[in-house]
Amino acid sequence: MIGLLSGFVSSFVLATTLESIPVAVLLGSVIGIAYVVAFRNIQRLYIDSVMTAAALGIPLWAFVSVVLFPVISGQPPQWTAEGMRTMLPQLIAWVWYGAVLGLAAETLCRITASWPGPDSILPKSPRVPTEQIVILGGGFAGMATAERLERVFGANHKVTFTLVSDTNALLFTPMLAEVAGSSLEPNHISSPLRTSLRRTQVVRGRVVGIDLEKHRVFLAMNGRSRGPSTPGDVTHELLFDHLVLALGSVTNYPSAMQNVKEFALDFKTLPDAMRIRNRVIDMFERADRESDPGRRHELLTFVIAGGGFAGVELAGALNDFARGILADFLNLRAADVRVILVHTRDRILPELSEKLGRYALERMTGRGVTFKLNDRLADACADAVVLESGEEIRTQTLVWTAGTVPNPLLRLLPINRDKRGAVIVDSTLAVPGHQGLWALGDCAACRDGKTGRPFPPTAQFAMREARAVAHNIHASFNGKELKPFRFRSRGALCVIGHHTACAELTVPFVREKAVQFSGLFAWLMWRGIYLSKLPGLDRKVRVLTDWVIELFFPRDIVQTIELHDRGAHDGNLI
Amino acid sequence: METSSEILAPANIEIQPLVGTPLVIAIIICIFTGVIGGAACSAVVTVSLPASLMLGGIYGLVFAVLSHRRSVSPGAGLIWGLGFALLLWLVVPAGVVHVIAEGMSAIGRVDSLRAQFPQLVAYVLLFGMPLGMVLGIWGGLRVRPTQSTFSFRRALVAGGLAGCFGGWVFGRWMDKVDLFPVIGGLVNSHTRVSGLAVHSLVAMVIGASFGLLFQSDIRGYGSSLGWGVTYGILWWFLGPMTILPLLEGRPLDWSYQHGGALFGSFVGHIVYGLIVGLIYAVADRFWVGFFTDSDPINREPEGPGARTMYSLGWGAAASLAGGLLFSIVMLATGALPRVARLVGGTSPLLGFVVHLVISAIIGMSYGLLFRREAPDKGSGVAWGLLYGLVWWFLGPLTLYPVLLGGSLTWTTQAAGLALPSLIGHLMYGAATALAFLVLERRHDEWVRLDPRLAAREVRLRRPIGTPAPAIWLFVLGLGVLLPILLG
Repeated sequence: MIGLLSGFVSSFVLATTLESIPVAVLLGSVIGIAYVVAFRNIQRLYIDSVMTAAALGIPLWAFVSVVLFPVISGQPPQWTAEGMRTMLPQLIAWVWYGAVLGLAAETLCRITASWPGPDSILPKSPRVPTEQIVILGGGFAGMATAERLERVFGANHKVTFTLVSDTNALLFTPMLAEVAGSSLEPNHISSPLRTSLRRTQVVRGRVVGIDLEKHRVFLAMNGRSRGPSTPGDVTHELLFDHLVLALGSVTNYPSAMQNVKEFALDFKTLPDAMRIRNRVIDMFERADRESDPGRRHELLTFVIAGGGFAGVELAGALNDFARGILADFLNLRAADVRVILVHTRDRILPELSEKLGRYALERMTGRGVTFKLNDRLADACADAVVLESGEEIRTQTLVWTAGTVPNPLLRLLPINRDKRGAVIVDSTLAVPGHQGLWALGDCAACRDGKTGRPFPPTAQFAMREARAVAHNIHASFNGKELKPFRFRSRGALCVIGHHTACAELTVPFVREKAVQFSGLFAWLMWRGIYLSKLPGLDRKVRVLTDWVIELFFPRDIVQTIELHDRGAHDGNLI
Repeated sequence: METSSEILAPANIEIQPLVGTPLVIAIIICIFTGVIGGAACSAVVTVSLPASLMLGGIYGLVFAVLSHRRSVSPGAGLIWGLGFALLLWLVVPAGVVHVIAEGMSAIGRVDSLRAQFPQLVAYVLLFGMPLGMVLGIWGGLRVRPTQSTFSFRRALVAGGLAGCFGGWVFGRWMDKVDLFPVIGGLVNSHTRVSGLAVHSLVAMVIGASFGLLFQSDIRGYGSSLGWGVTYGILWWFLGPMTILPLLEGRPLDWSYQHGGALFGSFVGHIVYGLIVGLIYAVADRFWVGFFTDSDPINREPEGPGARTMYSLGWGAAASLAGGLLFSIVMLATGALPRVARLVGGTSPLLGFVVHLVISAIIGMSYGLLFRREAPDKGSGVAWGLLYGLVWWFLGPLTLYPVLLGGSLTWTTQAAGLALPSLIGHLMYGAATALAFLVLERRHDEWVRLDPRLAAREVRLRRPIGTPAPAIWLFVLGLGVLLPILLG
């Protein structure tokens, strides 16, 4: 109303140079409204308002008088020098109009501000969030869900987000092998959850219980990221309206392999990777002063169980690392070093095509990795592993990458699970029979609606599922229809050694069609793609810096932790 | 979706009076200054002395009443004074005087306006500048700004550095038109080297004075650029139009013909001003960043890098709106093939692609320069218009001919030919700024959820009450009017 009135009053100035008075009044009134809306009706001083509106008169002259009016009347815009000179009277009128508009709008603003009295502005009621969304798990699935929820809900303050994680950072697992291989600094592939999320409350703690009936989550806040809860744990309780299970998976050892579990190193977390790196360095230090060739051979033998992505990438990275640091140990020879990969099937990398699996096998063999295919671990002790074929390999370093299972916490919940222990969800990723309960990532079992096949437990799918979950939570919040999750893999990439990788990328819009790359190009592709996916610009810069440094300087062999006992296995020394 | 507008509501500059009844003293000072300006105006321009004295007194009175609460430093006062002078000229000599003498039909005729050009120079130099400075000095003594802390050393070093760099760019044009020997004549040595030395010294001093005058008003790169252009235009009126002939012993010539002859210098001063503003802001920000912001104690929840990346992205996205609007003008004027020549082609389609790429780059620079400068949409549009105008001077008149292998075309003829593009640049600036503000606001809605970030935004966003409106009026007014009027 202020804008309309002030625009109407000011339009008489425009009418002095415009041919049509009704047009001038209409235009003046519309611009008056736009002016007050654009400047938010905030009280200024007269000089602020007058000069601002007068200044805006100049471009208005250019847009309206020079371009719009001639075009409407079927003439070309008057934007030549001569044309503009003939329009100068209207320029003066527009500036005057602006000045009067500013004056009138400010005057009316002041009058209306004092009209109802100073008590008319009531304090706004405090914001009370009505919906609480709790995400359990700070991995790819949980983090991506939180990010997506923040995006779809925007600044809606009627909802709060809480993310519970046993670590305070997101680990970028595709680069974990490079940490074990001393190419990357450990911190550089982890992004703090707190700095990556804008409005999500991050709670570091371990989930010890979930009450689905009363919508409560129980946390142990013992200050440790892992390990069992103890009587001294401080417990914390969270209420939720929506609960997202993104608890991921844990390393799994078959029940018959308790010896292996006791002596193997895991390869799942950042401390795991650091531990492997330090173990390798430790073995080299001990082997360097070892006079017995057999014992030296044992120390420098590294066995990796599992020929999937994790095992192959780790074998490639350890092989490069171990053979690279030989130069620093004068008493050791290349023949002393053995990196052995044990795999139950007849070819490695079953996720990729046979051709790429064969390529990886040949290239890695050529670089010194030994493969034990169609075989599996049968037993292990402190200085040897035994294969099912009966072969005994003398080693003090065994890394297990051969299996994971969904988080065992899920077993405590009264919900349906598949034989792996993953939560069975419907096509919208909701847990059937439980309002507001969702699951995704490694801990969820969801099937492709078209093929009927389960979606693989990979980061790529987890991040896409996160979008679907966030969308569906938002949709249910607003009473809209939920969307089923559909996604087709974009492909897979695997680094197998120095400047060498395998890549299999699906062709868009063509089902079951993929293109394959290998060698340097695939390696560059791997680095480019994963660097772009690494969360946070600062992390990208740090990793890129590490990669550049690696080109010119040898890998770091500083031993950061001592690992002679099993106590380190619990993460207490990290 | 609800928002909390109260958190980001711009804060007015708080003024704490040191002594009582400041308005009466301000009015007396301004009337006195206005009367002196009126006397000087009467001496320089053909106006009767009594009328001039009376007008000067009235101007002083009006200026004091309107802007005594805004003129809180010499720099702020100066800018308000310049905007006030232009508005006065548009209302009185270019308007009311003609209406009284010849009726409404005489308003804004090009010959009338050209005849009033000496009055424009007089209003800027004899009313606007002294009134603003005097009231600003009085205001600076009277009030204590609550936020900014003035660093004399930073102003001199950053300003001097900016002045040197701006002077170097301006000097390239001066060298081309052989102006250095003329400048060297000021020290009785008509050589290129002495002219270059004098020019560099003057450029450095003006840059340092820029820092001293405007440090407390400048917040970001974009506003600094606006302040710089304003200061550059002022120095065109002050330097080649006034001081140079006086030092050379020539009579003052404030006619529009003389102004037209100095049009190249006008563009040069604008380019000099924007470089001074920009470099000053960069040096100033670097100074603050290196000595203050990098201190972990002062660490903010949202790092500067994050906000910079957001701004670049928003600027690029926003430029799509501006670039598409501008392309309509380019299509209508047949300018796209000429744009394609920048990459060695002639196809309109290629020209369109090049135009969009340039738009995106300029949009990104807008995002980088003008983040947090606008407390509302209208202010955002005003900054965008100013930036569009600046790029009209920088683009078609400066960079475009140079990139095509030619030389600087700072002439009224070249400006006249590029006037259709001026409309396009203004459209581009307004649309880009509006789209940018929408994107920036969307982000700010998040920010408001975190009280720490919300408080930081309020602190960093330009408040209402700085001389930005005067800058918009002065730069947009003269930047659009003079190329038309002087041609």
